[in-house]
Amino acid sequence: MAGSALRRLMAEYKQLTLNPPEGIIAGPTTEENYFEWEALITGPEGTCFEGGVFPAKLIFPSDYPLSPPKMSFTCDMFHPNIYSDGRVCISILHAPGDDPMGYESSNERWSPVQSVEKILLSVISMLAEPNDESGANVDAAKMWREDREGFNKVAESLVRKTLGIPTSK
Amino acid sequence: MNTTTAAAAAKMTSTTAVAISLVLSSCVVANAFRQKKQFYPSVVYICKSNPSMAIMYMQALVAVYVIGKLTGKLFFGSLRPAESERLIEKAWYAVTETCLAFTIFKDDLSPKFVALFTLLLFLKCFHWLAEDRVDYMERTPVISYIFHFRIWLLLVILTLGDIYFVHDAYTTTMAKGPSVQLVFGFEYALLITLAANAAFKYVLHAVDVHSDTFWESKAVLLLYLEFFIGLCKAVMYVVFLIIMVRTYTIPLFAFRPMYHTLRNFKKVFQDLVLSRRAIHNMNTLYPDATLQDLQAIENVCIICREDMTAAAAKKLPCNHIFHTSCLRSWFQRHQTCPTCRLDILRPTPPTTQNSNVPASITPTPGRTAQETPSTEAVASSSATDNNRGPSTSNHTHVPSSQAGGGSGSSYYNQAPLHHQFRPYTFQQRTTSVDEINGNNIDSSNSGIPESNNMNESWIAFMNAAGIGGGIGPSPFFNDMPQTSSNLPFTNTPQIPLNLPFVGGIAIQPPNIPPNLDTLSDEELRLMEQNTRQGCLARIKYITDIKCMLDAAVVMMNQYSSACLMAGLDSTDSTFNSETKTSDTTENDEQLETRPPSNISSETDSSTGSGVTSSSSGSEDQLIQEETEQQRIIRLKRLEKFGSNSM
Repeated sequence: MAGSALRRLMAEYKQLTLNPPEGIIAGPTTEENYFEWEALITGPEGTCFEGGVFPAKLIFPSDYPLSPPKMSFTCDMFHPNIYSDGRVCISILHAPGDDPMGYESSNERWSPVQSVEKILLSVISMLAEPNDESGANVDAAKMWREDREGFNKVAESLVRKTLGIPTSK
Repeated sequence: MNTTTAAAAAKMTSTTAVAISLVLSSCVVANAFRQKKQFYPSVVYICKSNPSMAIMYMQALVAVYVIGKLTGKLFFGSLRPAESERLIEKAWYAVTETCLAFTIFKDDLSPKFVALFTLLLFLKCFHWLAEDRVDYMERTPVISYIFHFRIWLLLVILTLGDIYFVHDAYTTTMAKGPSVQLVFGFEYALLITLAANAAFKYVLHAVDVHSDTFWESKAVLLLYLEFFIGLCKAVMYVVFLIIMVRTYTIPLFAFRPMYHTLRNFKKVFQDLVLSRRAIHNMNTLYPDATLQDLQAIENVCIICREDMTAAAAKKLPCNHIFHTSCLRSWFQRHQTCPTCRLDILRPTPPTTQNSNVPASITPTPGRTAQETPSTEAVASSSATDNNRGPSTSNHTHVPSSQAGGGSGSSYYNQAPLHHQFRPYTFQQRTTSVDEINGNNIDSSNSGIPESNNMNESWIAFMNAAGIGGGIGPSPFFNDMPQTSSNLPFTNTPQIPLNLPFVGGIAIQPPNIPPNLDTLSDEELRLMEQNTRQGCLARIKYITDIKCMLDAAVVMMNQYSSACLMAGLDSTDSTFNSETKTSDTTENDEQLETRPPSNISSETDSSTGSGVTSSSSGSEDQLIQEETEQQRIIRLKRLEKFGSNSM
């Protein structure tokens, strides 16, 4: 019988295809490997990321859902909680115990109760409300705090880039 | 698309590199032949000229790379991006560590050793890939026969190669004394463990794939496997370190992997111990979920998202239900409830905890005593626990009607014994006692039992401290029913233990310290240890003692206020008017606020049983006098007790 991780991923894939939450598309890259997913996330409305469609990939460990997957954006991102190489830094993706930034309380960490859908929804809310204390991208955090105008401009240009529209300037 | 272009670009560069090196080396060879015309002289010429040799070395490296690619293709097909990523990362570490190793063996440095190190690196890469491939078995729904064949062949070849090299290193070292062969022998021995790990995992995965049902013990077996491999590695690293320090110098190059190995081993060891405890707890303490439970949560295990059957599901103390097997594998990582993160090993009581621990699951020696006289009371109290909601008044009523005798652990049901405490502390009492009952079950595992003797002594203490019978109402408690009924029940356990009256909040009644006499030698030794468990147990005893002392202070306050009241008979009328107003608010209050002479009749009328309180005013008086004497004695004892224990 196939591994429990595989079955759970299949179940989640099915669930996401049948009842896709708004603004999220996600699924395995190929049906041969359910442990690497691609996701498309739309920027939340009313924020500087509004209108953007951001591609990301999720890599699941073989003991999923006991360990959290890794998520990284495959497009350029400028956000306090996203490393410059695209890796997403939110507490839901960290297993209880390891705390890369040393500020997360354990009850917002990964647990098997979480799911791809919840991760992606958290990422959307992270896009809407960055946590500038985390500082995965210090430049972005600083800009978010001190120069919101500039941050919005950078975000807008990113949105245009993901949509293939040339930037206004 | 990004990755494909990147991969294509990488392929382009590597192909050009191979082509360039091929062109260069053929140029060198052609040049040598052009100059020397014959085979041997041209070979000698190439060997003598440094630039040509450099190019030839480059060519050799490229050849190794190409061979590696080809064999990789043979055994693995095309690599997945994740695999090659990890391979490159690991290879970089290995290369830097090899360079560090060269600094120690700089005297031995020769092309032969470079070649040997290259071969080692080459084989290492295949070990890593084999491991990744075996892990991949769990991830893909389709596994072809050729996959099995390849893995088998690869693992056999790798293991044989490792054994050969270890043997070679051993014989050389024995014959010629310690040399760089030490490192080789050690590295290949490590590779054997890697190959063995992969092989065992492969077997487990293969069995799992071919079985039709879910194989529950696989996760446990994997954990054990990890533990033994980790143990082997850790031992090897330590031995290697010792040998290297004695023969050469500190092997800096081995520190990073050694640190990782030891850390991993420690983690696996902890996981193993904690998960065993958690799983044991789960198997013995937590009930199987019932059909009703399952229906209430739509019958889906939220860990694996599959349906549950009643037999294969467990209910945690926090009421959350999961598959037993899912819980087992989760407990291997973390010993918490996946949903609410309640610590399974030390369930700090959330409000709903006790209702789930059925009294009948593990009867402990300490419990038998309490079950004889007061089963009814216990049952009733746990029954009320089961349906206790935010309304707390239930608790004040039910036990008082049940309060029979003064025996067993039903001391908390003896409403007349501590009327003053009742409106607020009584509920706490019930919870805390339930906690004790819950702990009772727990501690049968941790080896520190509770006993009920102390419960009785607590009753005696309460009696002696002058709360038995009808002592006049204390001003502290007049406003208590209101506060307590306003407080949501969930707040009660958070009241600080050692706060004597703060704004009408009573202290939490103490946990009864268990009688230490009943502890077995083994348990005592356990407590003496400097382990966390032992320390916690000791702290628990000390807190219990502190609680009792605090309770004594409270009673002292009550007593003095009672005395004050008794002495203030002249102001009784004003006092009565006060109580009359509060009478109208809540039935419970009557019990507290009536003057002493009325209390017995009140108890009769409200509870329907006379129980332990006195039946007439004169007896009341008598008891009061008695208790006064007893109390003084008791307080003296307490002082002694306190000075002894602190």
